[in-house]
Amino acid sequence: MTMKCDYCELIEENRGLIYQDDTIVIAVKDIAVVPGQVTVFPKKHYTIIEQIPDAIVVQCALMANKVGVAVFEALGCQGTNVIIKNGLSAGQTVPHCALEIIPRAENDNLPLRWEPQPVPEDELEVTASLLREELANLPPDSAKEKELTKNKEKPIPEKPADNYLLKSIRRMP
Amino acid sequence: MPEQAPLTAEQKKVLQEKLQNLSPEELKQLQQQQCIFCQIVSGKIPSKKIYEDEQALVILDINPAVKGHLLLLPKEHYAIMPQVPEAILSHLFTVSKRLSQLLLRGLKASGTTIFIANGLAAGQRAQHLLVHIIPRKEADHLLEVEEKVVDEETRTTFQASIENRFNELIGLKKQVVPVAEKKPESKMGKSKVVAAEDSPRPKPVPAPVKVPSLSKTPASSGKKKSAVPKPIAQEKVSLDDIASLFK
Repeated sequence: MTMKCDYCELIEENRGLIYQDDTIVIAVKDIAVVPGQVTVFPKKHYTIIEQIPDAIVVQCALMANKVGVAVFEALGCQGTNVIIKNGLSAGQTVPHCALEIIPRAENDNLPLRWEPQPVPEDELEVTASLLREELANLPPDSAKEKELTKNKEKPIPEKPADNYLLKSIRRMP
Repeated sequence: MPEQAPLTAEQKKVLQEKLQNLSPEELKQLQQQQCIFCQIVSGKIPSKKIYEDEQALVILDINPAVKGHLLLLPKEHYAIMPQVPEAILSHLFTVSKRLSQLLLRGLKASGTTIFIANGLAAGQRAQHLLVHIIPRKEADHLLEVEEKVVDEETRTTFQASIENRFNELIGLKKQVVPVAEKKPESKMGKSKVVAAEDSPRPKPVPAPVKVPSLSKTPASSGKKKSAVPKPIAQEKVSLDDIASLFK
């Protein structure tokens, strides 16, 4: 992908980085909801979490947890939010999937909450059975497939449905 | 449920003393008994189950932000993320990824938000760690927060502080020299955020504040207190305090 990516740039310019290894990068953001906001992301460019192999998702999560403790203790904050924004409609601003850690204080008034929508019991049941069915029919992990095919060097053509879905999510401002 | 008479001052005192004398294990047990989500895990409280395995349970949030809002929880009781063992945390995140896929395909969502709140200040309302997986649509106006440019000086101060603590935690000797001398009072003025499109007009930000204890009920957490910006902690924060929300 030749698109300019802020996080790939952070790595190139060594800007704000507090840690990096072969797979993971941790940086303190310079465009942030609050100062001290940390981002943990794979070194390799993936746009959304669905594209990231499980092993790297796990490494990101474990590192995010460690740096989360450092954020708690170094900043003396009273809470943290750990957020993955997946797709433009989720408010994703950088086309590079990341776990973000937002330090919180009791009086910070950040709108990181929602108004609960009470839903009638039967409607919940309809959604639940739909999701159970979809889960049973969910195709295997595409990131895993890709890794496998890469190893075998035998590319499997992507399904058109896949393409459409991913394209609409990858769309960036 | 039978109505309970309010406790007398004497009874309250006795209870408080009892709570203070509990070992961490006993306290955890007590929290588990009180925890709605532990009762959902054990089946005492019904739920709309979507998926479960040995370590994790996925249910529909009955008070969702939007239709299809999922809750993923570890079956074992943990209050916040730092308490969760690595094996379980790893599992939770691979399941999160699958659930995000499920919402994109099954509900034709155009995005997903994976959201965790650690601590009352972060909006945590249950004493059981929950991973929210929320299907998103364009212009749904959920979780809209503005990102601003953090000035260089503030960022480097925060960065040095977090990096040093992180290096200690992972056993690295390397320590970064903080850019500014640490003077607790003068930090206030230095902590500022400049809006991206604004002319650089310094605005004080509510920086993270340390309070001695978080032994508050969720109801009282809505009260506002005056901000005392102090980006660099002078004392250590107790994660146990943050975790034991309902002690």
